This record gives sequence, C-alpha cells and structure tokens, in this order.
Amino acid sequence: MARDLAFLIPEIMVLLTAILALAAEMLRLPRTALMVTLAGLLLATGLSMPLLGAHTSVFSGTFRIDTLSIWAKLILLPATLLSVLLARAELGGSDREGTVYSLLCLVTLGALLLAGAGDTMLLVLGVLLSGLGSFALVAYPRNDSATEAAMKFFVFASVTGGVMIFGLSYWFGGTGSTLLSDLARLDTAPVVAAVGLVAVIVGLGYKASLVPFHFWAPDAYEGAPVSIAAYLSVAPKIGAILALAQVVRDLPVATGWPMVVALIAVLTMTYGYLAALAQDNVVRLLAYSSIAQAGYFLLGIVAVGASPLAFESMIVFAAAYAAMNLGAFAVVMCTGRTLAALSGIGRSHPVMGVAMVVFLLSLVGIPPLAGFVGKFLLFGASIDAGFIWLTVIAIINSVLSLAVYLRVVVPMYQRRDDARVKDLAPMPLVKLVWVNAFVFTLGVGLAAQVLLGQLDRPLQ
Amino acid sequence: MPSLVSITLFLPLLGALLVMALRKAPAQVVHSIGIVVSGLTLTGAVLMWSRGVNETGFAQLEQFDWMPAIGAAYRVGVDGISLPLVLLSALLFFVTFIYSAKVRERSHAYVVLLLLLETAAIGTFTALDAILFYVFFEVSLVSMYFMIAGWGHEDRQRAALMFFLYTLLGSLPLLLAILGLYLGSDPHTFDMRVWIDKPPLTGTAAMPALVAMLFTFAVKTPVFPFHTWLPAAHVQAPAAGSVILAGVMLKFGTYGLIRFALQMTPGAFRDAGIAILVLGVVSALYGAFAALAQSDLKRLIAYTSVNHMGYIIVGVAIAALALDPAIRATALDGSVLQMVSHGLVTGALFFLVGMLQDRARTREMDRFGGLLKVTPLLGWSFVLAAFASLGLPGLAHFPAEFQIFLATLRVEPVADVVILGIVITAGLYLKAISRVFLGEPREQWAGMADLNVREVLALGPLLILIIALGIAPAWVLDIIHQTTAALRF
Repeated sequence: MARDLAFLIPEIMVLLTAILALAAEMLRLPRTALMVTLAGLLLATGLSMPLLGAHTSVFSGTFRIDTLSIWAKLILLPATLLSVLLARAELGGSDREGTVYSLLCLVTLGALLLAGAGDTMLLVLGVLLSGLGSFALVAYPRNDSATEAAMKFFVFASVTGGVMIFGLSYWFGGTGSTLLSDLARLDTAPVVAAVGLVAVIVGLGYKASLVPFHFWAPDAYEGAPVSIAAYLSVAPKIGAILALAQVVRDLPVATGWPMVVALIAVLTMTYGYLAALAQDNVVRLLAYSSIAQAGYFLLGIVAVGASPLAFESMIVFAAAYAAMNLGAFAVVMCTGRTLAALSGIGRSHPVMGVAMVVFLLSLVGIPPLAGFVGKFLLFGASIDAGFIWLTVIAIINSVLSLAVYLRVVVPMYQRRDDARVKDLAPMPLVKLVWVNAFVFTLGVGLAAQVLLGQLDRPLQ
Repeated sequence: MPSLVSITLFLPLLGALLVMALRKAPAQVVHSIGIVVSGLTLTGAVLMWSRGVNETGFAQLEQFDWMPAIGAAYRVGVDGISLPLVLLSALLFFVTFIYSAKVRERSHAYVVLLLLLETAAIGTFTALDAILFYVFFEVSLVSMYFMIAGWGHEDRQRAALMFFLYTLLGSLPLLLAILGLYLGSDPHTFDMRVWIDKPPLTGTAAMPALVAMLFTFAVKTPVFPFHTWLPAAHVQAPAAGSVILAGVMLKFGTYGLIRFALQMTPGAFRDAGIAILVLGVVSALYGAFAALAQSDLKRLIAYTSVNHMGYIIVGVAIAALALDPAIRATALDGSVLQMVSHGLVTGALFFLVGMLQDRARTREMDRFGGLLKVTPLLGWSFVLAAFASLGLPGLAHFPAEFQIFLATLRVEPVADVVILGIVITAGLYLKAISRVFLGEPREQWAGMADLNVREVLALGPLLILIIALGIAPAWVLDIIHQTTAALRF
C-alpha cells in the first residue's frame, strides 16, 4: 500500500493542489490560489522526475507506472502550468478566478489517470473526471456562446461516455476482469473484443477529438475563453491518446484494431485539414488543426507492439505538440481571434511574428523544429509496422496542412497602415508562455537527444 | 576547434543572428554585414578548395553525436561532387549580396533570410547525415518562400504559395525514402557514407525508394513534367531570389540525384536508367522549345534552365547505364561541371534581366531595341552570358555539355538527339539579342544608364569565371574527376 502510494505522489500532489486552490478561492484569495497552483504543478513535475525508468504497476495492476504515464506527467504538468498562466492573463480578476485553476488541475489529473490506465474502470474514471472539469471550464464566461458550447460538449460527452461504458461491459463479460492486461484472453471471442474496441474508440475518440467524434471541438473551442481552448486542445487530448495506446498494447491483433485505427487516422487527418482550410476564425482553424494533429498521433498507435519506435514517437510528438499548440494559441490571445486581426502583426511585432511562424511551421513538420522530429519518428514507426500507405497519406496531408497554416502566415506579413495593429495591449504573462513555447519548439528540434536519451527503450 | 567546413557552413547563420541583434542598425550597415560575412564564407570555401578532396571517399570530415538514440549525428565533409557546388554557392551568395545592396525595403529581414539561405545551401551540399541533409534542404524552402513572398513582384503571394506547396510535396517523398533506407540499414543509422558504401536496400525494396527520391529530385531540378512551379516562381521572385533559386537551389535536385538516387540505390537506378534517360532527353528538348515561345526575358531564361538541367539528367542516366568506368566518369564529370557552369551563366543572366527591369520596369523583349548602343556594358555582358548559355566553345557550358554528349554517344547514341536542344537555344538567344540589343535604339530608352560600379562588381566575377571555365576547365575538372573516377557501384 505504502509502496503503491509512493508511486502516485505526483498525482496526489495535483489533487492536493486542486483542493488547496479551491480553498483559497473560497477565502476570496485568488492570488493565493494562483500561487498555490503554480507551486503545486512545479512540485508535481519535479516529483515525477525520480520515477523515470520505472516500469511497474500499482493497486493490483489498475494503474501503470511506465514510460507513457511518466512522460505524460512530465509533458502535461508543465503544459498545465503554462495554461494556468494563460488563464490568469485572460480571466484574472473575474469572479471565481480560483476555481479555474482548481478545475484545470482536476482535468489534468483525469488526463494523467487516462495515460496510465491499466483497468477499464480507470478509463471511465479518467474520461469522466477530465470531462466534467472541461464542461465547467468552457462554460466559465457565462455568456450565450460559452453556455451553448458547453451544452453541446456535455451532451456529446454523455452519449459517447454511455456508449463506452456499455461496450466495456462486454469486455468484462468476456474476460471476467476489468484489467486491461487480461484482454489477451479475448483471443477466442472476436465479437466481444470488437464490440469493446468500438466502445473504447468512441469514448476516447471523443476525448481526443478523432473524426467522426470531433463535432464538439470547434464549437467548444470557439465558445470557450482562448486559454481554455488552448488547454483543452492539449491536456485531455494527449491523455486520451495515451490511454488508447495502453488499451491496444494488450488487445489481440486478431481484433483488427491496427486497421481500424489506421482508417480513423486517415479520416481524422484529412477531414481536419480540409475543414481548417475553410475557417476565417483562427481559433476554429486551430481547433480543426488540432483535430488533424490527433490523427498523426494515431500513426504511433498503429505501431504499438510492432515497432520499438511507437512509444518514443508518441511521447516526442506529444511534447512537441503541447509546446507548439500552446504557443500558437498564446499568440492568438495577444492578437485577436480573426485572420484579419493578425494582418500586419509580423511587421509591427517582428519577434512575436517569427515565433508564430515557427509554431505554425512546426505544426506542419518543417525541420529542424520540434514538430518535425515528432512526425518523423511517427512516420518511421508506422513504416516499421508495415503501414507504408498510411505514412504516404500522412505525408500528403502534411502538404495540405502547409496550405492551412500559410493562410495564417500570409496576412501576418501584409502591409497595413492601420495604426490600430501597432498597439496591442502588452500581456507579459502570455508573452512568457509563447517565449517558453518558442524556446522549447526550437530546442526539441535541435536537441531531441535530450528527450530521446531519457526514453527507456533504446532503439539499437 | 570546429573544422573549416563547419566554420564555413555556420558563418552565415552567425551573421544572420548578428543582424537580428542589431535591430536599430541602418540599412547600409546591415548590407555591409551581409557582404562581409558572405565574403568570409567565400574565403572559407576557397580554403576548403585548396585543401582538396581524396579518392577514397569524403574529405575534410567532421562528426559528433547529435541524436545517438536514433543514429543521427552531425556529419559533414566534401568530395569532388559537392566541393565545386560549395564554392559555387559561396560565390553566388557573395555577388548576390553585392547586387542587393540597394534594397531598402525591410533590409534587415532580407539580409537575415539570404544569410539563412546560404547556410542551408552549403549545408545541403556538405551534409553526410540524411537527417541533417533533410533539415538544410527544407530550411532552404522556407527561406525562399519568404524571399519570394516578401520582395517579389506583382503576383508574389500566389507564386510563393505555389512554390512552397509544390516543393514541399516534392520533398516529402524523400523523407519516406530516407526512413526506408534507415530501417533497411543494419545497425540503423542515418550515416550517408554507410548507405553509399553498402546500399541498405536491394532488389525490389530499392525500387520504391528510388521512385520516391526521383520524384523529389525531379520536382527540385525541375524535370518535365514536374517543372510547372519554376516559371511562376522565377517570374515573381526578386532578381536576387532568381539567381539563388536557379544558381544554387536547382542544384539540390541534381546533386541529390547523384548523391542519393544514384549512389544509394545503384542497382535500381541502373534498372530504371533508360526511363530516367528518356525523362532527361524530353526535359531538355521541352525546356528549349518552351523557352523559344517566351517573350518575357525572365521566363525565357527560366525555361532554358529546364533545358540545361535536362542535360545533367541525361549525363547521370548515362553514367548509370555505362559499363565502362572511364565513360561513367566522363558522364559524371560533365554533369557536375554542367551544374557549376549553369550556376555561373544563369546567375549572370538573371542579374542582367534584373538590371534591365530595374531600369525599364518591364521584361518584355519587344519593348526594347538597340540597347547595345545605349548601354554597351550591359549589352555586351548579356551577349557574353547568352553565348555561354547556348554552349559556345570557349565558354563555360561547352566543356560540360561536350563530355555529356560524348559519353552519351558511347552508351546510347540515339539519346544524342538531345543535341537538337543546343540548336534551338542558339536560335532563341539570337532572337532575344536581336530584339533587345540590336537595331536602332528607341527614343524611350535613350536615357537609360549603363551598369554602375555595384552592378559591375556583382557581374564581373561571374563573367570572368564563365570565360575561365570555358578556356581552362581543368582546375575544376581535376577535383571532380578525383571522385568520379573512383566511384564504384
């Protein structure tokens, strides 16, 4: 028991942080809530470090302490920290400010549970925990668009969550256990295995905004505060993707899951970018882009068990994705949500302009940026697993993505005499976020070894 | 202490960082930095040249770990194929900086991009690690996109977008091929020398990799029918951008064709040799005919590039098909020399058209006439460069094309029909010269100024080298031949 709890110290730390932030808010001390949250997240990140290299599970195999779950902490906790800074810049001073920090921590906790799930019930718990917090965060501004967005989000989540629990009951019936590690027993019951697989893909697919379970995402992102949209596009999504990896690790290949996942990957990437091409609202554009990016993650999933690159590529891409996506949203917070608001930004604010270009090109996967390293490894993993056709489609989509992101870049460098653009309100916290994301996006590209060297599964 | 290659490679990048740091500096200072830095880079390239290459593979090597977990490392070095291209790039960037000293519009960003492009270009030619190669290859795309989009002509946004999309689509198959070669090598590595010494993919696995690489390099070179981005990009790019695009970046395609396609999948390349040869012949002839139909001088020169690059494809295909090592060496000698000649000649021609456009605001041949009398220096320079471009003996293209045709005659005599291209280019250049420079001067252009000092300084080195290379190509060929004579595949 004590041993098991020791492995969960970071998660416990996050939970404590959420409670303390809430307590501070109840005492009407929002600033204290902020400080507690930042300190708690930093501490939890630090406490995750010693776990590196561990490979075990706790509480009778229900929660896994492995490469995926440890790296999920090392990626999501700093990402949450940056999101808290963004939220402070956007929502600071409003009513119930401290609850935002508390909810962010709880949603992150849900995502972390997902990333280490070793049991179907933990999957359900993670989806619900991160879901409930997310609805509240989206609805936070209490205006019509936010309420509508949260309502859509909630209805969608309820239905998919219900389907997931229903399907998981088949797995329980088939194996007599809720543990994922017992899924191998389904070898002889392909129908039961398939029903459960569909259910898991519905439940986690909604969370990761995979097509065709993505409908909520653009509306929710658009209605929510930008900082919350930025956060939702990173933390719950990465948690859900890693949960899917945990599931397919133990699922017999005979169920045909690699092909199902590959087809969803194709749909997700292609639809995401095609829809993004038609957007004029940068937040919606980034929402569709984040849908498409989720499809790239799946290239790593199809290689689980077939290529040693699978986990490595997903983790590197998750880190890269978190940095570049948060960075891009942070810049949008500074400028405004429409493409028109971005026009001329590159000329009037050269440094921020360069940073935005770097984020967007990294999302395309142009070297030597972080996104390139991640996608390169993902491509390698899926080729290694024999999915050459999938890699070819992913590559064609990368070209499509360039057209999407250049739609943002082009107006940034248009001439504009309008003086309005020149004086954006200075937002030091947001600047801190995009500067950090910028350094990371460049740094991971050039020094990927720092990350790769830590991953416990050497290639050679 | 980093090696000479690394210093030469990263000097421009350091220069770019310096310019970024000096945000308040006036335009003259920024341009001076550009000229000095590219001058130092050229000095570095000349020193590299003086150290030479060796027959056993790559010379002036430097290597240290970069991403050991996946077998990628920082590996640079040169051989007889890459060294002339490094020198060519350094020279072209240097004269481009001299030519561009007049740019006043956002000169900081302009110089930064050009310097970044210079590092990318030299890096592409010196990288001996596939990841490193790909990084430089793509960075050059991004820099060129912003060059065209930021300083191009009327329809620049569209042209820049098309350039970026087209060439990204072109370069991604190379990534697939690189991954294939990586997964095929044992132990897994991205070391290009290992891939060359012991091709990781053989038999049927090699053909898809070759096709992917051919696609990439055919778009980059460009080869008919993948050339459609080229005229659009050239017409809209600023003159300096055109010079770099044609003089340096098109060479990425043919260099990659030799370095990757020919050297890393030699068996498959030989099997596909005839198809590649046909592609080269068609491309060379198509380029010549298409150029004949142009009235815009810049488009005309852009299409002659398709023609000249076609000869290189022919040369490489012949090298793959040849059984006799001596003939193979001759074909490759000609191909590599052709890359250098094309860089010098087309660079000079694009400068000259840029200078004409600066003065007249048009590039339409029919709107000029008799300029030889008004601007003799500009006129005679154009005549010299045009004669070089059509392959006149004694000028740069002749020794290169002669060797390619000679080797072709020994291996696939039928393919020598490509010589027809020379006749057509001769015709079209004579037409262009007579329309623009001969006849009676039009009143409209009576006040046109001749070349100024800056322009002479930019053009002079190129014209001198065009003559030097035509009369005495041996000083370059010796370096090239050391490597091509020793190639085994």
